[in-house]
Amino acid sequence: MLFLVSGFKAPGVDGNSKMKAIFIMNFTKLIEWPKSYREGNFVVGVIGDTPLYSELTKMAKTKKVANQSLQIKKFSTAKDIGKCHILYVSKGKSQDISAVLKKVKSNSTLIITEKQGLVDKGAGINFIIKNNRQKFELNKKNVEKYKLKVSSNLEALAFTVK
Amino acid sequence: MNKRIYILFIISILTSSVFGQFVGKDNLSISLFYMQKAELDSAKKYIDLATADETLTTAAKTWYYRGFIYKELYKKREKQNKTSPLRLISIESFKQMLTLQGAEEFSESAHKILKYEASTLYNDAARLLDPRNYKTATTNFEKFRNTMLLINPKTDLRARDIKFKLALASMLNRPAETAAGLDSSQADNVKNLYIEILALDPNNPAANYNLAILYYNEAADIINNMDYDMDIMKLNEVQDRCIEIFLEGLPYMKKSYDLNYKRRETLVGLSNIYYGLNDIEKSDAYKKELEDLEKE
Repeated sequence: MLFLVSGFKAPGVDGNSKMKAIFIMNFTKLIEWPKSYREGNFVVGVIGDTPLYSELTKMAKTKKVANQSLQIKKFSTAKDIGKCHILYVSKGKSQDISAVLKKVKSNSTLIITEKQGLVDKGAGINFIIKNNRQKFELNKKNVEKYKLKVSSNLEALAFTVK
Repeated sequence: MNKRIYILFIISILTSSVFGQFVGKDNLSISLFYMQKAELDSAKKYIDLATADETLTTAAKTWYYRGFIYKELYKKREKQNKTSPLRLISIESFKQMLTLQGAEEFSESAHKILKYEASTLYNDAARLLDPRNYKTATTNFEKFRNTMLLINPKTDLRARDIKFKLALASMLNRPAETAAGLDSSQADNVKNLYIEILALDPNNPAANYNLAILYYNEAADIINNMDYDMDIMKLNEVQDRCIEIFLEGLPYMKKSYDLNYKRRETLVGLSNIYYGLNDIEKSDAYKKELEDLEKE
């Protein structure tokens, strides 16, 4: 997290979280959820502590996914996870990936992680840093096995596609 | 007949008492006469005529006394006027004098007066350093510089330049401490001033630190203004720009660290810049150093 000192603008601008939030907003447009998921709120779950949670909460105040209101939910453990369109697994909860996968296996949930290697362990999208820039890896199979459709544009924009 | 004699008598009295003494005298001499009597307005009138007189305009003495008379007038009438035209005419006169033959005779005295006038320009520049008058302050400072260089073209003004530019930058940067912040053109002005200071003194701690903060704030501004609906292509472009800006600011914050300037703030700065660069390991290392420092 950033911290503030006199002269620094914008109380702790967290560019990393803001960029991830924008990426996630893009994913909602470049991935198609089954019809039954296109009603009610569009739920983004966050498991574990991450500054991204407050950024997403901020985003949810002004943005929608098509006609669906954005709802951000925080889960402490894999056990608590409920139905969500996107589940963000914070770095601190990366070791719980197997439990997370078990919990969402019957849902149409896009699993996003932020630890190297997790795209090979079930995550659909994994955020990585390349040359100081926020990028993402895509595992198409891991996305599609949850009955989600990946647009070719998303593939083109990913740093790597598996 | 008696009347005519009377008129002639009156005329002769007048010419001999007041005007008579100037018969055959040039405007410079008349001016000096009035100057000695401390009648500065008359002295000014005749010295101005002397400078327009082709027989006197090439004499160093003419311009020296013009400079002197205008300096006296400045002291008497315009001491409180920070953009005094009398002072400038005085300086210009000495400048002209110094180009003429025979200037050596007056140069020591002229230099003394110029030094005095330069110091008043510098003081007025410092007094005008506020958001409304800073442009006039800058003009006065430039005039101070030119006057000092007139006295001695080899004068080293670096220390004064740095001091003035730092004060100006700090004044212009004040809105950055408020919620309003600086707009991009204000930020560019301040940034350029710090860059100018660093060209004179690369190890200036305040300039290094403040310049780094300005770069950081520029990137922070861009990030703050990013819309969540921005597409990924555009997002990548914006990321590139922000990284570029963070990298521009980084060496200055590192220099501030090396110079041990504002230790706490510099550590915060380094941690924040590395965070912006997505180098969390380095960001955390400086954060840790700060925590250790605060434990002491």
